[in-house]
Amino acid sequence: MNKKGLDEMQIQTRNKIGNQTFLMLLYLLMIDAGLYGFGFRWVDYPANVMLIITICAGIYVIRLIKANAYVGPSTEKEKPLLKILLTALVAVVVATGTIVLLKTANFSDANQINDMSAPIMFIAASVGIVIAVVTIVINRIQNKDDRE
Amino acid sequence: MSKNLKLKSARAAKDMSQKDIADEVGVTRQTINAIESGDYNPTINLCIAICKVLGKTLNDIFWEDEGNE
Repeated sequence: MNKKGLDEMQIQTRNKIGNQTFLMLLYLLMIDAGLYGFGFRWVDYPANVMLIITICAGIYVIRLIKANAYVGPSTEKEKPLLKILLTALVAVVVATGTIVLLKTANFSDANQINDMSAPIMFIAASVGIVIAVVTIVINRIQNKDDRE
Repeated sequence: MSKNLKLKSARAAKDMSQKDIADEVGVTRQTINAIESGDYNPTINLCIAICKVLGKTLNDIFWEDEGNE
């Protein structure tokens, strides 16, 4: 059996959750477009789509973790602390690089940057933090309750 | 689906935990738990792998007679 990826039950669960989330994303985008057609704007254009996609992605990941279909039956011992530190380091470097690039580039200045980008990034970061907290809670509950 | 008590008893007879079987077969412990509790219907490949680990036949573990369905 394949010990690197997900096992057969996890693959079935992941596919099921993926299909449901895709349909949810489709319906939410259609509802949003319909509301826009009726003249109701709950959030301006780039943010509404980003928000819907972020929420759907968050729900997808949370459901995957809750259904134990996120990590496969790997036998390798992982070092999460090192991984987290490296990820944080890479994130800081990428963020700094992006800011420096945007400030030094000729094609944009502070007035040309879309005002909605900041709220989008803020919302995405907030959703990410919520997902991380929910993941920790789910893992603790599963480890406590799900014994034989 | 009914619980697979035969799998549970065969596992207990070999003094193996769900984790032991899961590691041998290459699935998660939750998958073995779902099979035992009747929440998941495994493929024939997984059934054979479990039977090999437990030293039983498919009939011994996965065949449901009328009284046990």
